[in-house]
Amino acid sequence: MEKHACENPHCPAQGDHNHCSLNRLGIGCRGTVVSVAGDSELRRRLLEMGFCNGADVEVVRRAPLGDPIECRLRGYSLSLRGEQAQFVTIATAR
Amino acid sequence: MTVARSTLTVALAGNPNSGKTTIFNALTGLRQKVANYPGVTVEKKSGRCKLDTGEWADVIDLPGAYSLISRSPDELVAMEVLRGLRADTPPPDVIVCVLDASNLQRNLYFLSQLIELGRPMVVALNMIDIAERRGIFSDPAALSERLGLPVVPVVGTDRKGINELKAALRRARVPPMPDWPLPEPMHEELLTVAGGLAILDDDALPGLARYTSIAERLLIGDRADDIAALAEREPVKSLLSHATQRLAQNGIDPMHADIEAHYKWIDGVEKASRGSTGFQPVLRHFERNNEEKRNGERENGGKENALETHATLLDYEPRLTFTDKLDRVLLHKVLGLTIFTLVMASIFVSVFWIADPMMGAVEEGIGQAGRFIAGFFPEGPLGDLWADGIVAGVGGVLVFVPQIALLFLFLAILEDSGYLARAAFLMDRVLSKVGLNGKSFIPLLSSFACAIPGIMAARTIECQRDRLATIFVAPFMSCSARLPVYALLIGAFFATFSAAARGGILLGLYALGIIAAVGTAMLFKLGAKRTEPSSFILELPSYKRPKLSQIARVVWTNTWAFISKAGTIIFCLSVILWAMMYYPRLPRESGVALEQQLRAEIAKTQKTYRRPWHVAGSDRPQLDYQPATVVGDGERYPFPPHLRPLFTYNYQPFLDGMSGTEWWRFDSGISPATAISDEQFLDRSVASAQLCHSYAGRLGHLIEPAIKPLGYDWKMGIGLISAFAAREVFVSTMGIVYSVGGDDEDTTPLAQAMLADRYPDGSRVWTPLVATSLLVWFVLAMQCMSTVAIVKRETGGWKWPILQLLYMTGLAYVVSLVVYQVGRACFT
Repeated sequence: MEKHACENPHCPAQGDHNHCSLNRLGIGCRGTVVSVAGDSELRRRLLEMGFCNGADVEVVRRAPLGDPIECRLRGYSLSLRGEQAQFVTIATAR
Repeated sequence: MTVARSTLTVALAGNPNSGKTTIFNALTGLRQKVANYPGVTVEKKSGRCKLDTGEWADVIDLPGAYSLISRSPDELVAMEVLRGLRADTPPPDVIVCVLDASNLQRNLYFLSQLIELGRPMVVALNMIDIAERRGIFSDPAALSERLGLPVVPVVGTDRKGINELKAALRRARVPPMPDWPLPEPMHEELLTVAGGLAILDDDALPGLARYTSIAERLLIGDRADDIAALAEREPVKSLLSHATQRLAQNGIDPMHADIEAHYKWIDGVEKASRGSTGFQPVLRHFERNNEEKRNGERENGGKENALETHATLLDYEPRLTFTDKLDRVLLHKVLGLTIFTLVMASIFVSVFWIADPMMGAVEEGIGQAGRFIAGFFPEGPLGDLWADGIVAGVGGVLVFVPQIALLFLFLAILEDSGYLARAAFLMDRVLSKVGLNGKSFIPLLSSFACAIPGIMAARTIECQRDRLATIFVAPFMSCSARLPVYALLIGAFFATFSAAARGGILLGLYALGIIAAVGTAMLFKLGAKRTEPSSFILELPSYKRPKLSQIARVVWTNTWAFISKAGTIIFCLSVILWAMMYYPRLPRESGVALEQQLRAEIAKTQKTYRRPWHVAGSDRPQLDYQPATVVGDGERYPFPPHLRPLFTYNYQPFLDGMSGTEWWRFDSGISPATAISDEQFLDRSVASAQLCHSYAGRLGHLIEPAIKPLGYDWKMGIGLISAFAAREVFVSTMGIVYSVGGDDEDTTPLAQAMLADRYPDGSRVWTPLVATSLLVWFVLAMQCMSTVAIVKRETGGWKWPILQLLYMTGLAYVVSLVVYQVGRACFT
């Protein structure tokens, strides 16, 4: 996998593998899905859209006004709000 | 067409953006119909397709779904049809699962759920052209072997593979149930719950083999109608809760584990679909087929496929796809927003520009046709019903068809190209703040032209709560039907303001609508917070070149839906409104008496001041304005006091004794040419008296106490009632009331008559404050029966349109009341 440094200066995690919620992942950062939290309805939706089994996720961009993010997983592009993305934990390779 | 019975019901199921609809169109051609699933907002598309064997198949295009377990209305309907739970739709004999070959993993997830239905299936592997150009190759044969199902490669947009798909329908098979790689403890619990189901020994339960799959659904929290009751029955209920507890102790969430197991299985399937070495890309296969067909046809002298394009494998795109490159620009921080603004602005402007002449033409055409047909009616109620009821009412709504069709056209292009999702992505931040959704933007923008396409476009919003909120607030956007009213009132009462100030007032009206919409949406957010959270998980599909035939179809279906569905309601309401304004008739004698009285007044005025232009105004004559009464055949009929302003208007120079030129100069908005002949004046006066005599006129009087606090009198009441047909009708109705004619091209005489109107105490009926209050009313009130009809259609019941009508009218009343009362307190 390509190595991208997490561009988020507020990212608290350190070490080889950073665990970072998807909404805080920097643009261009990629990693694998670790876990999905949230209420069961949202969790189901996120899992069904493919955030499971350690899928590769890359944050492609943020919307110009800052909120929904676009990420790429399983070969397609999905946009979701920060308030939903925060429930997805990603392990990034540094 | 032969009315052969269909022998097969086929349901097309698949993810959104998987190209289901193109396949549906290719299968059914023009033999399709669009309706609504009863009780829900979801569109039901069905059609018929002739198979090679000569049999007919009913084809249902199900709404796109990501999952069979969901709360979105689209997905719910898809699930219910597939499980045979809807009484209005027969369970399908064959399910065609449409997969987007360029996005196989997530599409396979839906397939994995369909497999569990245990119904005969065929897989249509769609969009292989896009996939192969991206270097994603799937081997249909390998996939077919792995799934145990017929897999047909298809390019729906080019109609490639459609005949093969039709042929495959007869080979549909019940897929073998895969052995999901579930965690071991979950396997055990499944068996326990399945055992519980077996104990129930219910006749309604399917065979033993299905117990585990029902147990699986129960365990992962699926409570669809067919199994919900089971979960509440012992021993299943306690077995379920124990199983969930034990799994939780092991750190297993059944739903999570189940989805992961499906995706693990998908990984295997996807690998298998890569095919063996030596497998030939599907596009090649199509090309070869075409060549063979062409050769065959050449022998037969056929030339149908002469224009068929060659898809080649040579132009592979690099890993950075066209979509990626385009998104770099279209979703760019600065460029993206600039382009977005430009696109939206140009759509908006062109809707008005292009639609304007078309609307004129429609109006003219309806008028001509109406007058032509009116010639065949005898004079009397029937002719009047035709001319003033049906032609005027339905025509007044049909005038908006070009605008509505154009909006649908742009919407379809945006949606088909994939830009609609981007627009939602760009705008979500702004709209989510007020409790709406990025996808609300386009519907709301359309509503500035007309709320109807806006409300219909809200269908694309998956989140039910956001969709309702969008439908609810859309009519607050100032639509083009409000413009004539704004123009009349601003022109008449703020004529002394500078052009810039008048523009400012107009802008303020638009802003007021937006503020009301924002406030209402926020209320909606508060009200719905606990019931359903708003979510925005939106796929950004690849860009595609919009297909003309598909767009034409969408524009036609939607426009026709407006004309037919709204048309029926509008037709009925038009007739009712017409009858209200037509009956009861003014007694003949009263009409005659009125005419005589008016003639006498005219004669008296003109006799006294025969040459008004030359009379110097030293001794102004005073006309007696007390309501005179005449006796006609035993009935007393008052001289309608509201005709006085018009009388005054038309004969002002005589009355004032001013020199004509002086007077015209004094009141600069009017030229002597706009004064009408005595005969016209008499005709219009009688028409006005008739309207005031009618039920609508009486209703105007009846509601006067209610609208008096807003500053309105009964004449405006009539206007408001009639404006319910369509807002711009207010202008022509006021024209009739003030008997200046229903001409809405030149409203100067009407404005003059309104300005001249006085109450018996001599105070003005129309002041700038009254006009302001009325403007506010028109911004906020739901004065449009077409919108009510469409909201009823789109929300599947009368609850929402009635709630909306009451809310908007209530809000309009309160705000207009505040404006008028505060204004009066301040200025007097």
